[in-house]
Amino acid sequence: MALWIEVSQFLAYEARVLDEERYDDWLALLTEDVHYWMPGIENRRRADPIGEYAPGRMAYFDDTLEDLCRRVLRFQQPSAWMEDPPTRHLHVVSNVEVSLEATGAGHPLGGQTIIAHSVVVNYRSRGERDQDTLYARRRDRLRRDGEGRLRIAERVVQLRHNVLVAKNINTFL
Amino acid sequence: MIDPDRLANPGEGWVSREVYWDPAVYEAELERIFARCWLFVAHESQLPNPGDFLTTRMGQDGVIVTRRRDGQLAAYLNSCPHRGNKVCHAEAGNARGFVCNYHGWSFGLDGRLLGMWQQSTFEKSAGYDAGTLGLVPVAQIESYKGLVFATFDPLAPPLDEYLGDFRWYLDVLLDNDDGGTEFLPGCIRSVLHCNWKVAAENFAGDALHAGWTHDSGARAMLGQGLKGDIDPSSSYSINVNGHCWEFALDMVGNAATFGDRTVARYIRNRAEDVEARLGKLRARMIGAASSVNVFPNFSFLPGQNSFRVWFPRGPQETELHTWVLVNRRHPPEIKEAYRRGAMLTFSPSGLFEMDDGENWEQTTLVNAGVVTRRQKLWFGLGQGTRVAHDEFPGNVFQGQINDANQRAFYRRWAQLLGADTWADVKGDPGTDQQ
Repeated sequence: MALWIEVSQFLAYEARVLDEERYDDWLALLTEDVHYWMPGIENRRRADPIGEYAPGRMAYFDDTLEDLCRRVLRFQQPSAWMEDPPTRHLHVVSNVEVSLEATGAGHPLGGQTIIAHSVVVNYRSRGERDQDTLYARRRDRLRRDGEGRLRIAERVVQLRHNVLVAKNINTFL
Repeated sequence: MIDPDRLANPGEGWVSREVYWDPAVYEAELERIFARCWLFVAHESQLPNPGDFLTTRMGQDGVIVTRRRDGQLAAYLNSCPHRGNKVCHAEAGNARGFVCNYHGWSFGLDGRLLGMWQQSTFEKSAGYDAGTLGLVPVAQIESYKGLVFATFDPLAPPLDEYLGDFRWYLDVLLDNDDGGTEFLPGCIRSVLHCNWKVAAENFAGDALHAGWTHDSGARAMLGQGLKGDIDPSSSYSINVNGHCWEFALDMVGNAATFGDRTVARYIRNRAEDVEARLGKLRARMIGAASSVNVFPNFSFLPGQNSFRVWFPRGPQETELHTWVLVNRRHPPEIKEAYRRGAMLTFSPSGLFEMDDGENWEQTTLVNAGVVTRRQKLWFGLGQGTRVAHDEFPGNVFQGQINDANQRAFYRRWAQLLGADTWADVKGDPGTDQQ
């Protein structure tokens, strides 16, 4: 229960950091070897072995920390015209489930990583009344850093859309 | 009927904003452009085996593209001839045929009606003839070096003629290697609240916006902005039959936006081989700062190799589908570099594409104002830049910072809207463009 509260608080904090566009603070919540993946969702039949998504296929994000830093660098340019006036973001996180997964022996975390499932709803409002809402399921792998703080080592963002009902994704889910 | 000359005068360098707004213009486009032109529907690599299918649209008409048992490609309206329900609901896959969910009408890969629920009752009905109740095929379907196009118009000229000398330019990406090309698996789709032409004309010839609109993306990916003063002597805008390609001859200008140099290095390393195949000039176009639109709504970016269709969904809505093209014989790490590079630059989450959507939506939506949409837009940049060129076929203009291709796009647009049938479409409307 204590871990569930800790992870829930961590994800809520992360959501607020994103809502406030504190992207450097957000990057600090990721491990150096982070893999951030938001695959394209394909509208295929149940019997189709390819399924909704798979590694190596088209994706919105399939990022290392370096890629994510580049995205943040763009947000921070004074010439990112479309970010000014700023987007009003809201990340709603719910359905948090936490479990422990055994990792290799000798792991600094006592041989365990934390798996957190959650649901995220992202509302964005731009300009006067331009608005988009995206829905996704997430599966995070969390690790503790040297000081015991939770960090995201892997995130799979499973969009609940085939056609993205928006022109862009100028945030992180 | 629409009078296209009232809406656009590319010779004088203006276009009415009504072209982005007026529902009557949009309806005329569906009839006279989308139901008439050759439209991109697939890459052959998406349909390697019999039974492979994908669903797409031609204009707003849903179609199924499939490979038949005999290996031939075919395309049909995705609508049951019985009550009209959609017969294929998946975006891609492999099937033995298509069965309608409504009354069980069943169709072969060749489109023929094979049977249905309560078949014997139909067979006893006077006038029932299964032979006339198959899926409705497109009028013509043909490939050009892997790209599959179809048209609903039996009078449309052959694809080779429709593309004309633009094929010489398409070969830069489609035929720079013996092994041919393929699309990487998957397709990214998004919605833009803009008129389809805003996007198509941008890819046809708007090199101008790149340095300004995409400054933030360039700074993040390249570490610096794009150059403001581009030397017009080494760049061109060319068009053939309204198909447009604007380009520099810098070989890797677009590929460099990936940040990671993998693709740019690979292109440079292959330069000699490509030169032997395509000549010096075309070898310098492979990953160059450039953009392309095949009339009416099929665009791509050499270098990022992002291929896309701007599907019209009403005057103020466009659905964008994007794929990534690679050579079949590219090593796996190069294919992966293209996949990730295109994602990072020109996809809805990409550092460059993100800024386009906002501009294009407002370009369209401001015209809700009746006085606003009475105003003309100026498309006169680069009047008088036509040049004769020894190697480049088509209508050649010096400099890529130039509206010449956008004017050519609207010449073709006006020519088609003004024509009752293909018989009235006389030649390339760009040949007398200055």
